[in-house]
Amino acid sequence: MKEETILSVRDLVVKFELRGRSLTAIRGASLDLHEGETLAIVGESGSGKSVFTKTFIGMLDQNGRVQSGSIDFEGVDLARYSTEEEWLRIRGKKISMVFQDPMTALNPLRRVGMQIQEVIEMHQGMSGKQAEHAVVDMLDRVGIPDPAMRARQYPHEFSGGMRQRVVIAIAMACKPRILICDEPTTALDVTIQAQILQLIKSLQNDFGFTTVYITHDLGVVANVADRVAVMYAGQIVESGSAEEVFYDPRHPYTWALLSSLPQLGVKGKPLFSISGTPPNLFNEVKGDAFAPRNPRALKIDFELQPPMFQVSPTHSAATWLLDPRAPALEPPAAIQSMRAKYAGGGK
Amino acid sequence: MFIYMLKRLSQSIVTLFIVVTTVFLLMRLLPVEGYLGDRYDKLSVEQREAMLQKMGLLDPWYVQVGTFYGKLAKGDLGTSAIYRKDVPVLEVIAPRVPYSVRFGLVAMAFSLVAGLAMGVHMARYKGRFWDRAWTGYIVLINAVPSAVYLLFIQLYGTDLFKIPLLFDKYKFSSWVLPTISMALGGIAGYAMWMRRFMVDELNKDYIKLARAKGMPSSAIMVKHVMRNAYVPMAQYLPAAILATVSGSIYIESLYSIPGMGGLLVDVIQRQDNPMVQALVLIFSSVGILGLFLGDVLMAVFDPRIKFVKSEGAR
Repeated sequence: MKEETILSVRDLVVKFELRGRSLTAIRGASLDLHEGETLAIVGESGSGKSVFTKTFIGMLDQNGRVQSGSIDFEGVDLARYSTEEEWLRIRGKKISMVFQDPMTALNPLRRVGMQIQEVIEMHQGMSGKQAEHAVVDMLDRVGIPDPAMRARQYPHEFSGGMRQRVVIAIAMACKPRILICDEPTTALDVTIQAQILQLIKSLQNDFGFTTVYITHDLGVVANVADRVAVMYAGQIVESGSAEEVFYDPRHPYTWALLSSLPQLGVKGKPLFSISGTPPNLFNEVKGDAFAPRNPRALKIDFELQPPMFQVSPTHSAATWLLDPRAPALEPPAAIQSMRAKYAGGGK
Repeated sequence: MFIYMLKRLSQSIVTLFIVVTTVFLLMRLLPVEGYLGDRYDKLSVEQREAMLQKMGLLDPWYVQVGTFYGKLAKGDLGTSAIYRKDVPVLEVIAPRVPYSVRFGLVAMAFSLVAGLAMGVHMARYKGRFWDRAWTGYIVLINAVPSAVYLLFIQLYGTDLFKIPLLFDKYKFSSWVLPTISMALGGIAGYAMWMRRFMVDELNKDYIKLARAKGMPSSAIMVKHVMRNAYVPMAQYLPAAILATVSGSIYIESLYSIPGMGGLLVDVIQRQDNPMVQALVLIFSSVGILGLFLGDVLMAVFDPRIKFVKSEGAR
């Protein structure tokens, strides 16, 4: 699976001004997105995953700005976009976003059909009957029964899962090239979650767009992702195919994250949890941001920020452990057993 | 919907009955001397008794209530007892209403247009210069006693534009200043609420989605934010329109406008029972009707409001 790069982020730095102080939310993150793939960005709350993807459609809050770095998409650098007119060429048309809570994502006083029609009229220049047909067609595509009647209803007449389908229909209305799903299933019942993930998958097969999931639900990741990027304190610390990151993780943070999964715990023993808190991003972070919470941290981790080391052509991680001079450190037992299972089952 | 309206209407009638009866009884608690006015000292005891008897004030209170509602059922509101003796109540009130309503409606239209525009403008530039400037205006109007700036407007306004100081119904120019004076408070009120409701909407998630789907901010403002902010505004509109009947006490007295303002206070002080009862009946009907229409209007604007209790989770 060697696809073309559709979006390429290099050394992105995003700052927020908060009460006169400056917070660096994204500290030089780099990422490539391949055509047609499903990438999951995982990380704890506040790691910057939402902010990172919001820069792709220029939806940072008013006090935030991209300080440096580039976002290459279709030959233009989105990081340089500043006016609304520029962003309107991208938002909803080329790159769409689905938000977490479908209960509040729709205007309660506007008919569902109209809310989809707005997008179609704006971006595709359709109007009247033609646009209405496109709306009904779109509702049908996202699996809403009796779409012509449903289009005339208001959001409160839809269930949570159905509303998320409508939100997806809005995002898909202009056949974007990239769909960003910001925790699309967090607010939904478990049974509905699977349906929504299935729906996005099948739409992806039909339309051939690229999907980015933002989530801290590793279950979702395992279900849908081709590739995984792990984010910590505003940086991508490890990225690779789903198998590589799950079964052969290299960054201590990824180790810790996976070890804290209940499924990997040993019965009778307390569940592993990462001690400490993420660094305060108001201050400058020295060395590896995860070092203070990492019991196996090396001396250099506190001094110098590790570069990205390539593990395989598709797998890379930012940790000094991958430096040839580093001591051979064993990952935690849970990770080792995973690795063994994978090696045994795979070969 | 129809059943709900019928139910609400019958509730309104009960409310009205309670209000009118309460006021009726309260008036009966006032000292009887008040009914005789200045002449009290000159009258003999027998004369006093005879006068009170004639007004029906010596009957037990339940008989008085009964008589009042009996006459009301026949559409008879009685005659003024003191304010303008023996003139039918409606004849006293009727010629005053058009002045108050005309001033009130024009002032309201003016304050709605200006106030909503101001509110939208403030929400659009929230936290920036215009928001602060208009907030200053709103604070000023609410904090400074209205007597101060209204008097200022009357004195300097009439002088500046060479307009007569007092109201003259044949001169159009004398309509202008009272209307503006009446609108000032309304503008501040509507602007404040409109801004508030719009800012509420702006912070909602669906605005985020509207932006993400590529709508220009101007279209979001008009199609989503403003439209939704009108709903809570609409609720108070009928009540405000109907309230113009009662006029404005201070402004009408300032410009000598023969309107309804102050009439109720006047007749209460002079213990003109039939007048008080008639006015209370009118004002409270108008108020209750306003609230009722407000609810109906709100339901028209907001599809989520259903007038029947429905089974279900939400």
